[in-house]
Amino acid sequence: MIWVTWRQHRGQALCCLALLAALAVYAIIEGTSMRSAFSSDGLTGPCLARTQGTGCEGAVGAFMGEFGTVVNIAFWSVALIVPGLIGVVVGAPLIARELEYGTWRLAWSQSVPRARWVSVKLALVTGGLIVLGAALTAVITWYRAPMDQLTGRLQNNVFDFEGLVPTAYILCAFGFAVLAGLLIRRSIPAMIAAFVPWLAIRLVIEFDFRARFLAPLTGAMSPRCTSQAGCGWGFGQVPQATGRIADLVLGAKPGNLVIYQPADRFWPFQFIEAGIFVGLAAVALGATIWLLHRRAA
Amino acid sequence: MTQHDAGGSRPALRADRLGRRYGRVWGLRDCTFELPAGAVAALVGPNGAGKTTLMEMIVGLLEPTDGQVSVFGETSRAGAAQTLARVGYVAQDHPLYRDFTVADMFRLGQAMNPSWDQKLAAARIEALGIPLTRKIKKLSGGQQAQVSLTMALAKRAPLLVLDEPVSSLDPVARLEFMRDVMASAAEANLTFLISSHVVSELERICDWLIILAGGHVQLAGSADDLLEAHQLLTVPRDTQDAELPGTVIHRTDSDSPSYRHSVVLVRADVGQVAQRSRPGWQADPLTYEQLVLGYLQRQGTAATRNDPATVAQRPAPSTREFTR
Repeated sequence: MIWVTWRQHRGQALCCLALLAALAVYAIIEGTSMRSAFSSDGLTGPCLARTQGTGCEGAVGAFMGEFGTVVNIAFWSVALIVPGLIGVVVGAPLIARELEYGTWRLAWSQSVPRARWVSVKLALVTGGLIVLGAALTAVITWYRAPMDQLTGRLQNNVFDFEGLVPTAYILCAFGFAVLAGLLIRRSIPAMIAAFVPWLAIRLVIEFDFRARFLAPLTGAMSPRCTSQAGCGWGFGQVPQATGRIADLVLGAKPGNLVIYQPADRFWPFQFIEAGIFVGLAAVALGATIWLLHRRAA
Repeated sequence: MTQHDAGGSRPALRADRLGRRYGRVWGLRDCTFELPAGAVAALVGPNGAGKTTLMEMIVGLLEPTDGQVSVFGETSRAGAAQTLARVGYVAQDHPLYRDFTVADMFRLGQAMNPSWDQKLAAARIEALGIPLTRKIKKLSGGQQAQVSLTMALAKRAPLLVLDEPVSSLDPVARLEFMRDVMASAAEANLTFLISSHVVSELERICDWLIILAGGHVQLAGSADDLLEAHQLLTVPRDTQDAELPGTVIHRTDSDSPSYRHSVVLVRADVGQVAQRSRPGWQADPLTYEQLVLGYLQRQGTAATRNDPATVAQRPAPSTREFTR
């Protein structure tokens, strides 16, 4: 079954490798120039590390001016849908293609029961997707590293590409697409039927829920912000209103208070969000195995 | 030969009140018959008669709603490894993975079947002159059917179920395919169940006959016995059914002005006919095809009005059996 799975999915595996290679080439070129600009703008010195950005607003502004839009906005809006696309393209044909071409009668009339057939395939392809997700995440994390020092890792545009969630997004889209393929029995419609809810859930969680995974903290606004203009929240705002560059500032309250998520919640938030998407994937894949097993009966 | 005869007198295939319902419609109902080991059986019936449904329950792709089917004494259960291993199956349109090579297909067969006989597969495909390295999509329909049959044979199952194996083939390929089936049946003492619209193709090789129509078994038995038990009579047009011997299966009335007559297929043996025969009646030798057509036309449904031997219409590529 391992060979069968490999034989049926090796084309997809090669496409995924090509995608990874293309991303790596881009990341190395753009990341290298970002790194050299980072040091030539003077951001590697004490100004960033010790003062949380205070005193190097000029350097930050120059760096952000050069790279901010490309790395944080353009890359984000393109790469936002990539995990979903990978998931549905790999997942939808897994069962739907067998139904479309009638090969299910061949595949499921061999001596391997179909529940085992689908379980082995899902396990192996899921494993492949986890490796792919980890590799993509590693490349992007390396690429973004200088930028992350200015933005922190809780901003949406960073959080979506680092840690655990990219892999979880891929798995969720994959699970939806496998199930949709079984129910709709056509690859292309199944891709669409899986991608739309994936994107909807993805955006709703990103914009409505993520900032409230844990109750935000309220703290005193940085003295610098109360005394002069020019600090706030968002990208490249140095310092952030809390005075700590990596915090995620959500808003202000009267009395010079600021509502925020502290930077050290990156990993708890990653676990929560990845948990949601992996959970959805597990439900979809479990339902697929169960339906397939039951439909024989 | 080996494992096949272990059951002694156990039938190779036994269906007992077998039925399958799709939603509220019965695809097959109250289907009972037996097939002895070594039989080469034709399963004939119009589209929608339940042939594929019956076959899918035999091979373990579909669970019966009612009754049961057993292969060499063991009840078939959908999706159970033992059931799947006991039956070789060539599905309708002989599905194969188009971008696999022949060798890849065999490797899949080997990976998915514990009793796979790679030597048999390789020898057979070499004898047919099909290159192992060729992709499935580059093969002709006849070659694809042969690869499918080879996979079913290499599974080393004592019962083989072939669903419309020749329907997409040209006449020469049909002939070759059927000849191959017959040779394998004789060589390895296999039992075959073959469905087809092409009654004349089956007549040549099948010694057993199952007629399915409207989701019911109309007739099942050894072809010789069934031919003996039926007569084709030509009688005057005004002969009443009650005057005829045995059971009237199908009657064709002719209004030709010179001779108003009826051709009647009756279920009656020679003795019964001789007893009831009257002057002017004529009994003709019955062919396999006439017997089948008589039973299929008996239904009087739209599906059976066409001559099933020549009906070329194909059912839409169907996943219906799977869906419901």
